[in-house]
Amino acid sequence: MKLDPNIADPDGLYEALVNAHAGLSDQESVALNARLVFLLANQIGEPTILYDCINSALRSVHKNNGRGE
Amino acid sequence: METQYQGSGYRLPEYPFETPPEIIEGVSKRYRVVIVGGGLAGLSVACDLATRGISTVLLDDDNTIGVRGLASRGITYAQKSLEIFERLGIYDRVKAKGVEWSHGKTLADNDVVYSFDLAATRLSKQPPFINIQQFYIEWFLVDRIYELGVTDLRWSNKVVGVQELSDCIRLDVETPAGQYHLEADWVLDASGVNSPIREGLNLPIHPARGQDRWCISDIRFKLDAPLERWTWIEAPFNENRAVWQLPMGDGVWRLDYQMDANADLDAVSNEGVVRSRLGQQLGEDREFELVWVGLYAYRTQLLDNMRHGRVFFLGDAAHVMSPFGGRGGNSGIQDAENLSWKLAMVLNGHAPQSLLDSYQAERHPAAIHNIKTTSRTTRFLSPQSNAERILRDAVIALAREFAFARPLVNTGRMSVAFQYDTSPLITHAGNAVQNVPLVSSGGTQGSLLDLFAGKNCFLAVWFSEHGLTPKQIKLVKSLQIEETNLHWYIYSSIGRNSIELMDRGGGLKQALGVVNDCVCLIRPDMHLAAKIENPSASSIRIALRKSMALEI
Repeated sequence: MKLDPNIADPDGLYEALVNAHAGLSDQESVALNARLVFLLANQIGEPTILYDCINSALRSVHKNNGRGE
Repeated sequence: METQYQGSGYRLPEYPFETPPEIIEGVSKRYRVVIVGGGLAGLSVACDLATRGISTVLLDDDNTIGVRGLASRGITYAQKSLEIFERLGIYDRVKAKGVEWSHGKTLADNDVVYSFDLAATRLSKQPPFINIQQFYIEWFLVDRIYELGVTDLRWSNKVVGVQELSDCIRLDVETPAGQYHLEADWVLDASGVNSPIREGLNLPIHPARGQDRWCISDIRFKLDAPLERWTWIEAPFNENRAVWQLPMGDGVWRLDYQMDANADLDAVSNEGVVRSRLGQQLGEDREFELVWVGLYAYRTQLLDNMRHGRVFFLGDAAHVMSPFGGRGGNSGIQDAENLSWKLAMVLNGHAPQSLLDSYQAERHPAAIHNIKTTSRTTRFLSPQSNAERILRDAVIALAREFAFARPLVNTGRMSVAFQYDTSPLITHAGNAVQNVPLVSSGGTQGSLLDLFAGKNCFLAVWFSEHGLTPKQIKLVKSLQIEETNLHWYIYSSIGRNSIELMDRGGGLKQALGVVNDCVCLIRPDMHLAAKIENPSASSIRIALRKSMALEI
């Protein structure tokens, strides 16, 4: 799993994501994110990288909610 | 599973109760092998042992097949099971009665969101699947067991007690003529989900039950749909819940409906409700005959050890899983085959008792794998939270449009033979070898199975592009004398004993994954025990002895 910067156009990506969510209901936003997850996962393919990403994302959510490790 | 409606159904054979010799003579008797339970696993192991010349006593608590009525139960028999049926001598009847298929589809409205066709990977004489009512398989097995004539089939003999003695197992048995007991060196328990033996020995099974309920409706009618497995995850004709549609023997179709988790079970399986649900799917004016209706819920359970001293557990007595992919029945049949060749070798004095330990080493991981696989399917079919539903909705929506998402759609992964790659008997192999068709020089159609010539032995196939050297021929000759459980074949266009000529399409090489010169050892259950490159007398002998748990 890459944790150093690898996104060629970070500002552009962020803008594209925000624009995609613009005008969507919460429910539609959640649906959009779920579809994105699967589309992006298919670009990666490699299970160990995907599981590392899932675990890192989950840790980040727990940390923000003060649950820690 | 519970029968809710006994429809027009089937006529099943009934077998006569005969007073056991223990009751007539008033003495207890001792047997080498006693099998408990005459379902798929019990009858398979009885038949398998009989074909290997081992006589057994089989106790069944009923006097017919199909367990208390006409419960259809398992319907899909996968290639490995069909190959076992071929060896047991019932395949031709299964093929004649059942429906061959290889193609499965999952639909969302009219879009196919997932499909598979296992015909492409078929090398075997047997097709990927045959669908047939389970009781037909049991029926054919009973007929075959009678024909082989070495098994003591005892109908209406219900085991009510079990006791471990120092050198045997004692079973208490209830019959219409009274109670008796017998002793067994080995007990093979195939008495199903509620095994009285497992309970009598107090062995934990870690049961887990699911919330989901399904209602099976087996119906007889003319359907112009292709003979394929169709599944809907969100069927509009079942309030957006899942539906299964599968053909089987006698022009009967199984339609299996996922129910609402909070549904009133009596109401959803009431005949009128069942008919109206069928009408929604098939069209109101469609005539059909209701053969059988039953309800089931997900349930998983697994013994920690499928062997307890002198008792072996097979099929549902050892493991229970959700029905998706036909893994329950097929794994019971494979349990039976795995144990049969080993037990026969031990009883005939060709292998040590430690060979029997490998039953747990091979079949327990298979059960874990099956439970894991079917549990993943149930998780897909019954999202347990809002988040799970959102993920599943995304998969289905993407699968309608894009091929990449289709493998994520999970309406059951079909049963395939388990690869025993962690088994202590195996040398870098373990996969099942398909029953490749072979043609004799006289033009007779046969298959890989025929090379065993009905013997409980291993096959050694020496693949040699340029033929064996005189030294290698000498090696084979000496091993033929030393290792009597090994049948040799030379796979080369040059020299004697050639099977290359029989393997016209090269299917055997493909099935074994042979690229370079090597010796392949194939077990009596047609799993690959070893693939030996640069073979020598000692490497072949070590691999063979390892696969029979003999000291090296």
